[in-house]
Amino acid sequence: MKKIEINALNFYYNDTKAVNNVSIDVDKNTVLALIGPSGCGKSTFLRCINRMNDIIPGTRVEGDIMIDGESIYQNKYDVTSLRRKVGMVFQKSNPFPKTIYENIAYGLRINGITDKYEIEKKVESSLKATALWEEVKDRLHQSAIGFSGGQQQRLCIARTIAIQPDVILMDEPASALDPISTQKIEELIHELKNEYTIIIVTHNMQQAARVSDYTAFFYMGDLIELNKTEKIFTKPDLEMTEKYITGKFG
Amino acid sequence: MITHLEGEIEGIKKKIFTMTDGAIEAISNAIESLKTMDVKLAAKVIQNDTRIDKLEIQIDDDCVRTLVTQQPAASDLRLILSFIKINNDLERIADIASNIAKETIRLEGRPQIHPESDIPGMATTCINMIKTAFEAMTTKDVSMAAEIISIDREVDELNIQVYRELFTLMADNPQVMPQALGLIMVAKSLERIGDHAKNIAERVIYYIEGVDIRHEKS
Repeated sequence: MKKIEINALNFYYNDTKAVNNVSIDVDKNTVLALIGPSGCGKSTFLRCINRMNDIIPGTRVEGDIMIDGESIYQNKYDVTSLRRKVGMVFQKSNPFPKTIYENIAYGLRINGITDKYEIEKKVESSLKATALWEEVKDRLHQSAIGFSGGQQQRLCIARTIAIQPDVILMDEPASALDPISTQKIEELIHELKNEYTIIIVTHNMQQAARVSDYTAFFYMGDLIELNKTEKIFTKPDLEMTEKYITGKFG
Repeated sequence: MITHLEGEIEGIKKKIFTMTDGAIEAISNAIESLKTMDVKLAAKVIQNDTRIDKLEIQIDDDCVRTLVTQQPAASDLRLILSFIKINNDLERIADIASNIAKETIRLEGRPQIHPESDIPGMATTCINMIKTAFEAMTTKDVSMAAEIISIDREVDELNIQVYRELFTLMADNPQVMPQALGLIMVAKSLERIGDHAKNIAERVIYYIEGVDIRHEKS
């Protein structure tokens, strides 16, 4: 079942075209990995899916993105509700300078949840879903700033899923983490897939192979190949993809 | 500039080719020892098998190391996976050649029978199959590799023919039974070498095209 339909998407930074006529359908409860060299447009493409690029002056979008059959670029579309529906996790973990509890409760409150019991329940379930609960349940009211990088990133994921989005976008979520924290994030992606649709940008080819169902290879703004991950990493259809993933590019 | 992975693959390829030369030499010498009843040559085949066994372990270690440290993908991954399987086929070929050489030693002193049999021809065909498989790998020629699979059927038919001829000989003259049974075993061994050569050709096709054609009914 299609969750996201991206049709002939073009994206411009002033006169520079960063994404060129890209069309991709993403099925519900799947993980799509976006790979490609730096500057190929994969992060720009990712940010189009929750309209994060809107805040950058001089940018322009052509084409359309539909989530659950509804165009997110239509006039008067409520961008706030889009961001609620499409959560995002960034390369650098960015917890609020607040307590662990508040990091998650804050998003719930600004989304209109005021019932203390409900907030507590959601804080607990989010921390459990990200395998943080056992590590932090006795210090929920301590600052999150003292966390390790891996814990901070998992807290950010907990914060994202607390408001129950449908889609999670991840922009190199484990690139600054040690192997153990990376493994935890990757395990988490496998778990989260049952509930959410995930799109992840990664420079780590093995990570793309480990966590995703489908992989899209971008180069200079073009979508070169979209295929099942197993196919991309064993027998890609295109020579250009083969050259990129075997390190024989350029 | 050659990458580290390319260097590793080249190193393994060289060892695979050394192993191939060793396996081919083993078949050739084993059959020559049988034709000429040269037990010294037979003993040499058996002795050299240890060298091939050691090389098999080295190649496996190299492949595992490359998989772990270089994490190859696509054609590089398929090539290393093919190396692992081809390595095993070559080791088995050398083992079978060694068994043929043991048959020479077992038959020493007995009068030779059926010198006009197709056994030497079977051996030559098997050797050519192995050589062609590696040429197909080097030139990435799928049709050349596919041809080997049809040649294997010819080797299978020759084995049946040799069996019939030797069975008739035994029926006519039971005294030649030890030699005839020995030669039946040799023909069967060559038929198995043909199967391994076919396996190698299938791994070559997998490497080139990413398609696994094993167990496909023709």
